[in-house]
Amino acid sequence: MLTYVLKTLWRHRTRTLLTVTGAAVAMFVFCFVGSVQEGLTRLTTGDDADRSLIVFQENRFCPTSSRLPEDYSRKIRSVAGVKEVMPIQVWTNNCRASLDIVVFNGADPEQIQQTRPLELVKGSWESFRSQRDAAIVGRNVAQRRGLAVGDQFSIGDLSVKVAGVFASEVPSEDNLIYTSLAFLQYTRGLDAAGLVTQHEVLLEDDADPEVVASQIDATLRSGPVATTTRRKGAFQASTLSDLVDLIGFAHWLGYACVALVLSLVATTTVMSVQDRLKEYAVLQTIGVRPLRTMRLVLAESVILCVLGGLAGTILACGALALGGFAIGAEGATIAFRPSFGLLFSGALVSLVVGVAAGFAPAIQAASVPIVKALRQA
Amino acid sequence: MALVELHNVSKQFRKGDETITPLDEVSLQIEEGEFVSLMGPSGTGKSTLLNLVSGIDAPDAGSIVVDGTEVTALSRGQLADWRAANLGYIFQTHNLIPVLSAYENVELPTLLLKLSSAQRRERVELALDAVGLSDRAGHYPRQLSGGQEQRVGIARAIVAHPKVVVADEPTGSLDTETSEQIQALLKRLNRELNMTMLMVTHDSDVAAIASRQLLLDRGKFLDATAQTEAGRHAS
Ligand SMILES: Nc1ncnc2c1ncn2[C@@H]1O[C@H](COP(=O)(O)OP(=O)(O)OP(=O)(O)O)[C@@H](O)[C@H]1O
Ligand SMILES: [Mg+2]
Repeated sequence: MLTYVLKTLWRHRTRTLLTVTGAAVAMFVFCFVGSVQEGLTRLTTGDDADRSLIVFQENRFCPTSSRLPEDYSRKIRSVAGVKEVMPIQVWTNNCRASLDIVVFNGADPEQIQQTRPLELVKGSWESFRSQRDAAIVGRNVAQRRGLAVGDQFSIGDLSVKVAGVFASEVPSEDNLIYTSLAFLQYTRGLDAAGLVTQHEVLLEDDADPEVVASQIDATLRSGPVATTTRRKGAFQASTLSDLVDLIGFAHWLGYACVALVLSLVATTTVMSVQDRLKEYAVLQTIGVRPLRTMRLVLAESVILCVLGGLAGTILACGALALGGFAIGAEGATIAFRPSFGLLFSGALVSLVVGVAAGFAPAIQAASVPIVKALRQA
Repeated sequence: MALVELHNVSKQFRKGDETITPLDEVSLQIEEGEFVSLMGPSGTGKSTLLNLVSGIDAPDAGSIVVDGTEVTALSRGQLADWRAANLGYIFQTHNLIPVLSAYENVELPTLLLKLSSAQRRERVELALDAVGLSDRAGHYPRQLSGGQEQRVGIARAIVAHPKVVVADEPTGSLDTETSEQIQALLKRLNRELNMTMLMVTHDSDVAAIASRQLLLDRGKFLDATAQTEAGRHAS
């Protein structure tokens, strides 16, 4: 019986191809939107986002405007529940939302190696530590900008030598460039000797992030600059708040794509069934049960949907894997990565939409008035 | 007990205010192995009768029993199963599935039965052989002549070895020569495979191949066997 379904689809190959292509395009967009959403979720939740804190200057948002004394890290370390503090100088080429944002984080190379979940895929820690203007580059930046170990990379007043390319367990980190703290502090135009943008705090396993955060702010209240300390996830979400709204809206775009696939496949299936009502009457005269007739129609719509949906999903995942896309603002970036979750939801949505699209025509085919349909010439 | 039994079967159609009653309390018995032909003026309800016997239409009153099964008491799904196992339907226009080859068309009914693929192949080949189209198995309906298409339709109707085969003007759209081939084929199937046949036709020559000839007129059956025989002898 599957032969019958496949041959029917093949007979109208132009129609089939158009429908499959349409479904593929829509599911491609669906997966892209989904990956942006996943990127945002990963950025604001998870171990890295929940178990570390960012100490930032009070009421400041762009990294260029936050200036904290570097020696705050000593005071922060004294707060109960703090395991490690890493002072970081941030530099970005663009404080507004951008698809090609370049963010530099300057910190102690030793500390980066020990506290960040990084792995060098190329280059060596040794050359990063030993050269003043050395940098290690996240693999997405390297991919986007075509950087390799040994390259000199200049942007604005900054010029660094690529000492390594790293992969991070935290996808958004793949869009960062790490340099040594001193290098970034003494960059012309920043004049940040003794100052840093933020302190990143690693918590003890049993520490409550909220309690430690307010403790830190209270401790530093006596210093020259007041601070706001938040979970890293909350910090990034508020930094990206404009984008978060936009991404929330893109959500609807995802639903619209699903609706598009549904109407496209439903239209094709309705047309196909109505052209062949007599055929379904003949099949039932031969002895095909109404339920089986339904299944034949559903198979048709599901095949169209899954074929197009999977093609779109796989293409989207491929593009995401190769493109290394990220969107960023004010020093925080959202990485778009392909994932099994995305692949799975793409496949599942295609399947469900396929069944939904074929449901009405399937009932029509199953309950066709046999005699009346047979009398039609 | 006869293989096919109709008891006081009535069927009405409503077209707006008008009510047509092509079958008004008709009764009929067909014995196993019989070949019954049914003639009558256009619009008297011959096709309707075949549809009732096949269970693709339901009577307004009366009952139909085929081989002990009360067809009129079955649901749509049960009727489909019953037809798959017990009934072959030969259409006037073959009604082959255009996207399937001759072989695949004939194979369709066997897919509804519990058969191994070897048994299935054997049956399909046997049926195609019976209608003399083994060499056209891979052809599609559009690549076949009208007579060949009709023979594929017949192969499809008999492949499941049904108890009853109904045929609605099986030679109605064929030229004389092709029609004669089909008549010979139907006669052979009835004689050699002992298939019980109920055939509607407008052609008295075609009707004559049957063992019993019925005439349906204004809701009643007349046995016309003797009549046509007499007519033949006279001409
Ligand atoms: N679905 C239907 N709705 C309304 N009237 C119908 C329907 N089916 C059949 N009829 C009417 O019932 C009568 C019998 O129709 P049927 O097709 O059984 O005739 P028939 O004897 O097969 O005629 P023919 O020799 O022309 O094929 C006709 O008058 C026809 O118009
Ligand atoms: Mg008729």
